[in-house]
Amino acid sequence: MNHQLEQAGIDPVDRLAVLAAALPGAAVRQRRIAAPYDAVWPMIADLEHFAPRYEPGVARMHVTERHGERLHLLVGYTDGREEPMEARLRAGWCLMQSATVVVAFAARPLGGQTLLAHLEHLRTGVPAPEPTRSRHRRAAHAKIDQELDTIERLATHDRG
Amino acid sequence: MRAAQHGDALALDQLLDELAPYVRRLCARIAPAVADDATQEALLAVFQGLPSLQAPEALVTWVRAVTVRTAMRLARRADREVAAADPAAESHASSLEGLVDIGDALARLPLPQRVVLILRAREGLSEQEIAATLGISAGTVKSRLYRARAAFREVWDS
Repeated sequence: MNHQLEQAGIDPVDRLAVLAAALPGAAVRQRRIAAPYDAVWPMIADLEHFAPRYEPGVARMHVTERHGERLHLLVGYTDGREEPMEARLRAGWCLMQSATVVVAFAARPLGGQTLLAHLEHLRTGVPAPEPTRSRHRRAAHAKIDQELDTIERLATHDRG
Repeated sequence: MRAAQHGDALALDQLLDELAPYVRRLCARIAPAVADDATQEALLAVFQGLPSLQAPEALVTWVRAVTVRTAMRLARRADREVAAADPAAESHASSLEGLVDIGDALARLPLPQRVVLILRAREGLSEQEIAATLGISAGTVKSRLYRARAAFREVWDS
């Protein structure tokens, strides 16, 4: 385990799995990114610059307040809506939440590469019944995979 | 706590900060050889069950019960794997040779005795709390404690 990244004795990627366990319907995917942690994590943590690049529905993201690990954000979506979010950001851990969604990233070094986990969850209250739930899960996994593809490309090829 | 139960992820994150050190400490004491796995499995079980917890005021009692039972299950599994891989290892483990500290002496007790002793002597729980944690009667706790203390003294004094 990487003790610098641990919070309360838990590795960030393990922590994300625990968080997902309490959020019925949450979609989580993880991937080994062929770039070092020191290249991947600063990119994830630079919310204003990079979130609109990997999240297709987000046009802009502004940090409106910052108190240590706690952030207030204002997200502008591509359909013109705006929504405030609260976030907790530290090394290897980024958790963002609005009234409608939860988005989280967790990362740790893996050799010279990075293990990156990504969670998305719609705060809709009661989970949909089957088979709708399975269809939503597949769609959510496909969306997350696409975002991880973009992050991997940004981290390994065309950062900046 | 209510917010966490209703899917507030930031409240869940905060709760994880508060519970994880306790869960880890219990797992390290009961199942030291597999403490990381036991901690993760216990936290998964706790957070999966959180939304349906009926009595939030009993959170710590419930977390303790889930954690202790998870740690015991993984400790038993690890013991079986060690015994299957090297039948001589178990007899070596129960010998007194190489005994260096209280942790070693505790580790040589049978798991049910070890757990009641840890919960009583190191976690400071009452016999009633131990009974509730393990889902056994107070009388069983009392007899296990008696046998555990006797076995511990025997190992320690040797």
